[in-house]
Amino acid sequence: MFEITAGKSALRLNRPLMGASGAFGFAGEYSKLIDLSLLGALVTNPISLKPRRAANSTRVVPLDSGVLIHTGLPNGGIHKMHRQYAARWRTSPIPIVMHLIGSAEDLAECATFLDQQSEIASIELGINDTLTAREVRTVVATVRARTQLPLLAKLPLYQAVNVAAAAADGGADALVVAAPPRGTARDPLSGQLVGGRLYGTWLKPLAVRLVGQLAPRVGVPIIGCGGIHHPDDVRDFFEAGAKAVQLDSVVWVRPDMVAAIANALSGAELTRAAGALADEWRPYGETAERRTPLIVAPPPPFVPPPPEI
Amino acid sequence: MAHGQAIIERIRRVSAGIQRLELAVEPAQQIIGGGQFFLVRTTGTYDPYLREAWLPVGLRDGAVIVERPTRYEYAPNQVIDVLGPIGKPFPLRDSTRALLLIAYEATPAIFLLMAQSALARRAAVTLVLIGQACRYPLEALPSAFEVTRAEYHETWHERQQQIAWADQIFAVAPPPYDVPAYLRLLEDVQRIRHAMSADLLYGIFQPPMPCGVGACQACLVRLHNGEEVPACVDGIAFDLTRVNLLQNLPDSTGV
Repeated sequence: MFEITAGKSALRLNRPLMGASGAFGFAGEYSKLIDLSLLGALVTNPISLKPRRAANSTRVVPLDSGVLIHTGLPNGGIHKMHRQYAARWRTSPIPIVMHLIGSAEDLAECATFLDQQSEIASIELGINDTLTAREVRTVVATVRARTQLPLLAKLPLYQAVNVAAAAADGGADALVVAAPPRGTARDPLSGQLVGGRLYGTWLKPLAVRLVGQLAPRVGVPIIGCGGIHHPDDVRDFFEAGAKAVQLDSVVWVRPDMVAAIANALSGAELTRAAGALADEWRPYGETAERRTPLIVAPPPPFVPPPPEI
Repeated sequence: MAHGQAIIERIRRVSAGIQRLELAVEPAQQIIGGGQFFLVRTTGTYDPYLREAWLPVGLRDGAVIVERPTRYEYAPNQVIDVLGPIGKPFPLRDSTRALLLIAYEATPAIFLLMAQSALARRAAVTLVLIGQACRYPLEALPSAFEVTRAEYHETWHERQQQIAWADQIFAVAPPPYDVPAYLRLLEDVQRIRHAMSADLLYGIFQPPMPCGVGACQACLVRLHNGEEVPACVDGIAFDLTRVNLLQNLPDSTGV
């Protein structure tokens, strides 16, 4: 059991494992494929005060071992989303954390609204990567003043070191390290350069390093996020100092891995025994063979996408 | 919708550029309608990262037949990771007796499963291949199809008669050419069919779909009523009178 407390309220996770914002949808989109009760909590896709529309430009650019996504963070605004999903959130087998985006004023208004709602167990603030440390402190403090709910701050990857202390000072009860970084890549379909969020296996070393840097320096729990695709990845985050982790794009590419990771965490040791050899460190009973690819086939050569005639 | 492993049981080369694979899939994945497809991983690594869309073109004895370009190599007994069926079956009406299928610059394979249902109901099927789609081999199509070819939409000379003839029309074009192609087609259909019923003309939207369940919001299609719905859940065929095509036009400022 992992717990984040804020005054009298608490976010209690049966497992230190959360579905990250932007990956699992707003409410149980994955329930047909995954037993969501295996997660400790589910973070909704980003929600803003006012409605936002989907991006008009290319939204997906496939990359080597990753993907660039630019959705525009579409949502119907907090009031519509609450009306639409409240019943499902209420009956969710796991706590729901709402990921909020917007200006300090918008976030404060959203937090005031959520403080009156029982379906939401916690708030996660998406910290914009253009904010200075001072502005981050102001944003978090403004929201903190409006809600009793546990408050998570999801930090931008490249700014996390600079703004982590400010977010904690502002009143965040835990820090999520880190949000998917922004990047730019050429869309092979349109030929344009497209900006968006990056996901992939290669993010993990960056995020683990940040967790290792921040965990001893901030006085609040760190939740690791980025590039987790295997139970071993979770172990690395814990060893670096994270108290919990969030899974993101792994659910798109290997939904079965969510259960594998959750089961690996059930009752397993989460730290390496002193002096243990690498071969002895398999707390979830995974065999060495399991790490080899499940499917052995020659990778297809890179070929530009359609038209495929 | 299910996630499981499938085995490639048989590989047939249909033409120089096309091969068809017979897949032994999970029982839940054998129930698949025309227009539904699979998202597939063929390797255990994460490169490529996203799944590929595999289009079923037929069913045989519990196996699903999919079509792939021959430039990809597969082996019998190869195990693959399959997510699906994705999307909803194409809304082919029982009353449809004249079915018009149009492929702009894209393989018409996505139509074949539905077309077999239509032929079984004794409907007449006309397939129009435009641009690169003309390179699709005729030997891969059912012999009952009437096939028309044109280099461009504007040089599709039979479009007046064929659009007027059809009870239902389905069109496919690859992104980012889909919306411009559908705009031209919708304009023609509205001009030719003065009383255009709501379920006459469908466009197929196949943007890359990272998740296939509507969670990632990367494949949203904007409708006239202001809603934005995921193509992977509510599509992939949309009634073009419901789609706000102008607002789905990609802008040129991606960065």
